[in-house]
Amino acid sequence: MHGFAAWLASTAPSRIIVGSRWIWPVCEIVHFIGLTLVVGIAGFFDVRLMGFMKRVPVAAARDLMPFAIAGFLMNFATGATFFVGKPDQYIDNLAWWAKVFCLVLAGANAMFFETTVGARAITVGAGEDTPPAAKIVGAVSLASWLGVLYFGRMLPYIGGAF
Amino acid sequence: MSVWLENTAIGIWTRESPSIWAYPTVLTLHTIGLGVLVGANAIIDLRLLGFAPRLPLPSLAPLYRFMWVGFAINAITGALLFAANATTKSTQPVFYVKLALIAGALVITGAIRRAVASDRSSSQQPARPAVLSARRLAIVSLALWTGAIAAGRLMAYL
Repeated sequence: MHGFAAWLASTAPSRIIVGSRWIWPVCEIVHFIGLTLVVGIAGFFDVRLMGFMKRVPVAAARDLMPFAIAGFLMNFATGATFFVGKPDQYIDNLAWWAKVFCLVLAGANAMFFETTVGARAITVGAGEDTPPAAKIVGAVSLASWLGVLYFGRMLPYIGGAF
Repeated sequence: MSVWLENTAIGIWTRESPSIWAYPTVLTLHTIGLGVLVGANAIIDLRLLGFAPRLPLPSLAPLYRFMWVGFAINAITGALLFAANATTKSTQPVFYVKLALIAGALVITGAIRRAVASDRSSSQQPARPAVLSARRLAIVSLALWTGAIAAGRLMAYL
């Protein structure tokens, strides 16, 4: 792990990222815009799955999901840039591993939704309540994305790797 | 004034307490509030731009409650973060740019809310593209909120 981090830090892309005055700040701005899209758009769908905002048809709430996916891709790209730039800052950082765990949980939960309760939940129209399984999936999704945000923001404060 | 603010008990606590509940938690809550406030705005803006036409605009009204909660969280945590480092932040031009962008965005949010409330036809014809003026407001809203996020982030670098 440390060998890999040391190698990564020695590569040309890593040096460019750390050596540039503007790459890091610009990526941070993009990372926060992406965060807003994920929390806002995916969070909205989760809130509806949990049974709130019942006047919204579930399928309609889902129509905005491409923007959440775009936000996620923005954050994956900029997050990878941070990692390549300063791998030591993350590889030993407990908060980073907790963030990765929450990301995996969010992904597994979404996959579970798509392959099981999703088909039924998507037919829930305006004014109708969602099935209990959909409520649980929505709550787990919201909690795991907030976990990603929490541990991401806590990266400099937990683990002391910065 | 900023020196006084920095030396208030709450300013000192936010800045200097080694507790995870001080600066780190205030900062994290500020980020959560940002996600809720701007995220809820983005949903309505994107809908007004013609995305997700099956989404009935009146059904999005509860989002304004989320916006208020997000705004309240960020007004409080923002005040704490300012108090913690008032002398630095009060001399940063980008801080005033951020405040101006937020003020503008809030005005636009109010204008959009009024425009949507007066546009009754949207509930009967959800597939109809939103009125042109609302579309323009939505673009301005997205631009101002994005700018506010950028300015806020740049406070750590400029």
